[in-house]
Amino acid sequence: MEIRMAKLTKIFTSKNKKEVRAVDNVDLTIPSGKLIGLLGPSGCGKSTTLYLIAGLLRQNEGQIFFDDEEVSEMPPEKRGIGLVFQNYALYPHMTVRENILFPLQNLKVEKEEAKQRTFEMAELVGLQEMLDRKPKELSGGQQQRVAIARALVKKPRVLLLDEPLSNLDARLRLQTREEIKRIQRETGITTVFVTHDQEEAMSISDEIVVMKDGVIQQMGEPQDVYDFPANLFVAKFLGNPQINVFDGEIKNKKIFIQDMEVGKSKLPDQPVKIGIRPEGFIVDSEKTSNLRFDVNLVETIGRDTTLIIDMPGEEKSILDKQSFKVIVDASYRVQAGDLVHFTIKPDKMHLFDFEGNLLK
Amino acid sequence: METKNNLKAWIYLAPMLILMAVFTFYPLINAFMISFYKDYQPLLNLRSAGLTLRNYLIVFNNQLFWKSVLNTFVLAFISVPVSIIVSLFISVSLKSIPKLKGFFQTIFFLPYVTNAIAVGMAFAVLFHVNYGLVNVVLSLFGIDKIDWIGGTASWWAQMGALMVFTIWNSLAFKILVFTSGLENIDKQYYDAARIDAASKWTIFKRITVPLLSPLILYISITSLIGALKAYNSVVGLFGERLGAQPYSMITIVAFVYKYRADFAFTGFYSYAAAASIILFIITLIFSILQTVVSRKRVHY
Amino acid sequence: MAEVFVKNEKVYKAKKIAFNIATYVFLAAIAIAVLIPFYWMLLTSLKTEELMLRIPPILFLKPEDWEISNYYKLFEVVQSGPRRGEPLFPFFDYMRNTIIVSLVTTAGTLITTVLSAFAFARLNFKGRDIMFAVLIGTMMIPGEIFVLTNFLTINSLGWYDIMDQTFMDVLFAMTLPFMTSVFYIFYLRQTFKQIPNELYYAAKVDGTTDFQYLLKIMIPVALPTIVTITILNSMGAWNAYIWPAIITTKDEFRLVSNGLRGAFTDTSTGRTDFGQQMASATLVTLPLLILFFTFRKQIMRGVSRSGIKG
Repeated sequence: MEIRMAKLTKIFTSKNKKEVRAVDNVDLTIPSGKLIGLLGPSGCGKSTTLYLIAGLLRQNEGQIFFDDEEVSEMPPEKRGIGLVFQNYALYPHMTVRENILFPLQNLKVEKEEAKQRTFEMAELVGLQEMLDRKPKELSGGQQQRVAIARALVKKPRVLLLDEPLSNLDARLRLQTREEIKRIQRETGITTVFVTHDQEEAMSISDEIVVMKDGVIQQMGEPQDVYDFPANLFVAKFLGNPQINVFDGEIKNKKIFIQDMEVGKSKLPDQPVKIGIRPEGFIVDSEKTSNLRFDVNLVETIGRDTTLIIDMPGEEKSILDKQSFKVIVDASYRVQAGDLVHFTIKPDKMHLFDFEGNLLK
Repeated sequence: METKNNLKAWIYLAPMLILMAVFTFYPLINAFMISFYKDYQPLLNLRSAGLTLRNYLIVFNNQLFWKSVLNTFVLAFISVPVSIIVSLFISVSLKSIPKLKGFFQTIFFLPYVTNAIAVGMAFAVLFHVNYGLVNVVLSLFGIDKIDWIGGTASWWAQMGALMVFTIWNSLAFKILVFTSGLENIDKQYYDAARIDAASKWTIFKRITVPLLSPLILYISITSLIGALKAYNSVVGLFGERLGAQPYSMITIVAFVYKYRADFAFTGFYSYAAAASIILFIITLIFSILQTVVSRKRVHY
Repeated sequence: MAEVFVKNEKVYKAKKIAFNIATYVFLAAIAIAVLIPFYWMLLTSLKTEELMLRIPPILFLKPEDWEISNYYKLFEVVQSGPRRGEPLFPFFDYMRNTIIVSLVTTAGTLITTVLSAFAFARLNFKGRDIMFAVLIGTMMIPGEIFVLTNFLTINSLGWYDIMDQTFMDVLFAMTLPFMTSVFYIFYLRQTFKQIPNELYYAAKVDGTTDFQYLLKIMIPVALPTIVTITILNSMGAWNAYIWPAIITTKDEFRLVSNGLRGAFTDTSTGRTDFGQQMASATLVTLPLLILFFTFRKQIMRGVSRSGIKG
């Protein structure tokens, strides 16, 4: 089932009559059978988008299609979607079995079949043993899986997950995201999940959609979006540690940070923002490159060493000082205070204008 | 961190404790004692030596007492469930109309801030066989005039009028409490139920009521206890005669007050005390029942 | 894969609208039922005796037919009988008594409530939790039990003097037993407890005494709750019926509720003057409604809190 949004807009009016365009003129097609991560900082409109697909919110403008069928005006119960809420919203007074059975009873599914399907779902999420427990007797991860089972049991056309991992601790998070991927693979259901955690989105999504201020910034396979960010925001939002951004300029087809040459470009002469991924630096042991910095701090964790270096630029007071990070192989023995020469991997460097648009 | 400051605490508590000791704790024990006194004359403080159970026997052998028990129980056990169900429906309906909610809520709350005697008198006029609105409305449905509260009124007619007045009076509090109870239910359960394709009735039956059940139980018991103490409503509707015919709508509390008023007669004060202790025990049973039930049926 | 997903949008919308209409009709019907007794009270009080006795009763009165004589007749002086020389319904006397009783009770209640709520919320003393539980337990006891002994207590304190009861006697008798309220203590204690401990320690460091802290910090912070308690408590005297009737020996000391019932019925014929009766009921109801509409938010918040506490 493909989900298509056309010129979708949702406006919230706050108490002091201010209008906020939570979702702004969004055109987006979510391919059938894929696991899609809707990604963005809080307040970017990703949850609103999810709730619009679910029908729990009504758009101000635009349309939503499930395949060729328009569902824009359809109430949520008719859309055939499964939704997993951020804090699961399991009915606290019902057992796991009753929670999973509830949608089937509402859809008047025949009793024996409902029983059968409830059990199958419990099996799928690995909770056969827990069917007679109440939600509060389950761990966070188990509650999460009940919520998924409840959403899937009615065989929805689309599965929607709102921040599915945010209420879990770090260890469970890893485990559960594999679980979600497995369930999605097994059922083949078109799945959209919302998250603010880029790592989470990158690790399990078939494709990610990055949003900001209600506008879609970029959509694509995680690695593609990471390697070819459409703008500075996307470049900064993906990747940990963050991409380093320098003020620089293009002169005579060469790219400079201050007087240090970092690469070549075919673009005309102009001032630019230069984004370089922390892993895009190569230590030049010959010390011939003129890109060189005094290393401020060295953190070695396992196989990587992170060098923390003061941002080049005018001398600033200690408080205003900004720094950037470079990740190098731990085999380089670098000490704080060393002067290190670097060369840059061209594919890890992106040029942007001062509005943040990518320069090609 | 804080040191124990016993003396200081008692000084702060003293005004309350002295008043409670004199007007709450002592009377409780004293009423209990009086109910066992022999030949008690309260104002002269005279009584025969020893204690007796006779006062209770006299109360139990009094036709009027059983009438008061019957009236009180019928009133309480019908008006409480009805008012709870009606106020639940009203509260749920209020929830679905955010626009006029405040307006309706204010109207529904009005009976709470009225004087039971004054409004009771207004109900007496409403239920008047000739001059009342109730019979006018009933005649629209082809029902003949009913004497609700006049001299020829049947027991059921009187009870019906009292019931309507009692329910009218008690809706306000329940609607307010249930409305704020509903506001405290996480909205996500309703979103989830919509996604799960639950109908409005299913949502009411399987989500709202179970989630509200601790509150419903608590309100049921407290209003039951309140209804068992009915008195002002009877006086308001029927006057000091306590019924269309004298004492026909007497309640347990009214029974207590009737014998209290006759304190000049030897021993009558003890009958009143005995009846009040019986009422206390009945309410105590319901309070205990509430504790037991709410412990057993904790939903989540 | 998709199941029974009905597509019939129109039917769904029509159903939704029908449901909304039904909801409004239901609520409006209840609202009318709630308002009718007030309407009938007012309507009857404005009817002349002749209009009153019409069968079937008149349901609406044009403004030009309004008859306010029922109201001023209430204040006419009775010519004969035991109450000769007094107004038929001494509304203003009862009003004055009620207001005085209400003010004194409320002032007393506030003092005991604030002090005890402070002790329970802030001070650490032996037996605090047990005492609090016992107090909460007294809320279950029907007040009727206390009436019996309290009457005797009032009598032995000399405030029930059949020959020569003074207004001061009555005032003591009517107010002292009602100057404590476990529920308000409970309610205020909850509010006090929400004030962060840091504020208390900071004040202690500054050398503030407990009592100063109570006056300067806790009471101002808890003011909304205290206002709610004040309003709810002062409404109590308006509904007091049995106690004032029991402990007063003279009509003139009674409160508004007592004056209402029994008046306006001619004892010889048994006929009731409904017009005057409803006029007096209206007069008694009106101040409460004015109070309610002035302090609607505080009253409703306080009352709803009393339901949630369980």
